[in-house]
Amino acid sequence: MGDGGVQKNPGFAGITGDFNLTEAEVRGTDYVGQRPLDGGHPAVAGTMPYQVPPKAVDGPIFVGPFEERLEKVLTRYEDRRGALLPALGIAHEARGYLSPEAMEEVAERLQLAPAYVRGVATFYTMYNLRPVGRHLIQVCTNISCNLCGGEDVLQAFLQATGTGMGEVSADGQFTVIEVECLGACGFPTVVQINDRFFENVQPADAGRILEELR
Amino acid sequence: MAEEQGIETVHCTVNGMAVEVPKGTRMIDAAAHVGSDVPHYCYHPGLSAPAQCRLCLVEVEGSPKLLPACVTVVQEGNVIRTESEAALEARKAVLEFLLVNHPLDCPVCDQSGECKLQDYVSAEGPAMGRLADAKRIVGVDDFGGDVLFNGDRCVMCTRCVRFMREVAQDERLGVVQRGSRAVIDTFFDDGLDGNIWADNVVDICPVGALVSKDFLHRARAWDLDRTPSICPNCSQGCNITLQVRDNEVMRLKPRPNDAVNGHWMCDVGRLDYQWINRKGRIEAPLVREGDRFVPMSWSDTLPRLVDAVRALSSQRGGAVVSPFLSNEDLGAARRVMEAVGGGRSVYRVETGESVVLPGFPQLALREDRAANVRGSQLFGFERVGDGCATGGLEAVDNAEFLLVAGDDLEDAPADFGSGARLFIYIGQLLNPAARNAHFVLPATTFAEMEGTFTNVNDHVQRFWPALRPPGMARPVWQILGVLLSGLNGSPAPARPADAFALLGAARPEFGQLRFEDLGATGNPLSGAATAPAGS
Repeated sequence: MGDGGVQKNPGFAGITGDFNLTEAEVRGTDYVGQRPLDGGHPAVAGTMPYQVPPKAVDGPIFVGPFEERLEKVLTRYEDRRGALLPALGIAHEARGYLSPEAMEEVAERLQLAPAYVRGVATFYTMYNLRPVGRHLIQVCTNISCNLCGGEDVLQAFLQATGTGMGEVSADGQFTVIEVECLGACGFPTVVQINDRFFENVQPADAGRILEELR
Repeated sequence: MAEEQGIETVHCTVNGMAVEVPKGTRMIDAAAHVGSDVPHYCYHPGLSAPAQCRLCLVEVEGSPKLLPACVTVVQEGNVIRTESEAALEARKAVLEFLLVNHPLDCPVCDQSGECKLQDYVSAEGPAMGRLADAKRIVGVDDFGGDVLFNGDRCVMCTRCVRFMREVAQDERLGVVQRGSRAVIDTFFDDGLDGNIWADNVVDICPVGALVSKDFLHRARAWDLDRTPSICPNCSQGCNITLQVRDNEVMRLKPRPNDAVNGHWMCDVGRLDYQWINRKGRIEAPLVREGDRFVPMSWSDTLPRLVDAVRALSSQRGGAVVSPFLSNEDLGAARRVMEAVGGGRSVYRVETGESVVLPGFPQLALREDRAANVRGSQLFGFERVGDGCATGGLEAVDNAEFLLVAGDDLEDAPADFGSGARLFIYIGQLLNPAARNAHFVLPATTFAEMEGTFTNVNDHVQRFWPALRPPGMARPVWQILGVLLSGLNGSPAPARPADAFALLGAARPEFGQLRFEDLGATGNPLSGAATAPAGS
């Protein structure tokens, strides 16, 4: 993801003004924005995606760079079963969600039973099982955020995008969901959009944030 | 006794009773040893134990926490209390949680009466649940094959998942979703079709979540009479219980026997029981007089039968037997053939593909689809015909003394046996070819008599009568035993044990076995010297 219209610290410390570091300074220049095409170091080649692709694509997943990344991931595990989560992560990144076909391909590639792969994929809540918009807006409504108006922020985002919970907006840009604690309880309300945190979000900020994302 | 065999043992106390068990015994088995059934769902002796249902928690002196009895191995000096206050309290809590989403639809549930949730809750569960919220609704899913899934009733013990993974080694089931949303499911629309071991998940399901479509709403568990028997549908000889209501077999269920079938059986054998319930059976002995049959009592029939056989001098003989006959039947048929001077003796059997159970390779659906093919071979009968148990009858075409026992002659030409001077038909159904017989005698099926089968690995196993025989039907060994008695003056066997004792004369290996010693799980032929079953 490019920096878009956000000037400073688009994700990390949110728009609190407390931090002056850029993302590049925090993460190192290698991992800012789009993941390197070859996945980078094997240790991170299968981690959760930086960004959800706009729409599902047909055809096999593990071709070209994705195949390369899976091979890299496989070198990190003693058996194929161990590589299941990162393999699902790669499929997730390629398609934006895990369709039955994607699960089947992962199962075939790792020589596991499809039913087992489905069990694992559905166990973890961070795998999307249905298509989502280009920006996945995850609003925290757990205790701290809830006390500071998280429910209102959630409603504001739903209104601003014109969607119901978990639905994809008409332009394919946004999906809004409610999540449990994101671990930034000091800066409620926290909204995670793809891999970035927006902190101290007020209901009135929703429209502006969406504009920045477009 | 364990020490005599050189097995290391440990001592422990269960509920105040001292018990000595082999080293490595699980606490749940040690408790069973002294008659304490520790409630459990996820543990099954034929599967791995994940200790996830948390129902078998017991108190062990010196342990700060309750321990799951299904995975904790007994250590020397353990003092185990399965009914202590803390253990009962913990189990009560687990049961209350299980009832949060359980629909309590026992009146329409097939498992009712043999349901472990019913049993445990009524024994030590809470009197009332405390949750006021609505229950989760999952609904019903058709898993394909014979298996129907009622998600609401599931207690998530994952026995079915582990059976498919570890024993069937065809991992078609998995736990989908997590927490209170978790359900058992296949991979989307895949289902269990095509796996012939799938119905075992219905047997091991402790509640009514997995039920058999074949048995759905057909009988209540408490109306069924259960008789130990042997599956007749292939030469593996799986130990089963015949479950009968109103003199009709309702279903077959496997009975554990480590030497033969473990805890399992295949769907092909299990679902092929309708033939046992066939109607239109021969009910009385029919004796030909001129061109018509006269029904007679046994006391009128048998002297005529003896006279008719005696009247033949040494003749070309021929016999067709069925591989569904017991060892006793086949031994008697063999002795009759010897008494009349021998001749070709044949049997016909249906064959099919052999399918091994990967996680328990001693068990397979065998090629020969009849229970006593091995017995037929041992008693000197010769296989004829094709893989559908048809054809091959020309082997006995020119027999002058013809004995047909158990074979239905369904495919035989209408003039079959019309050339024989004496044609004795002992069977269940009166097909056209059987009408050429001079004597038509009603015989029982294996389900209506006591006897033994020899399985493919020479394991001799007993079965018991589950059904009342129709009319005057009698076991073949009894009919032929009286005939032999008339021919050579020896006493006729009165009980199955007598008939079994006579088998040694035809095959010496049988002489080394005693009927009473076979018990419920049978014994291998020729003693311990033979290779173990399954090799």
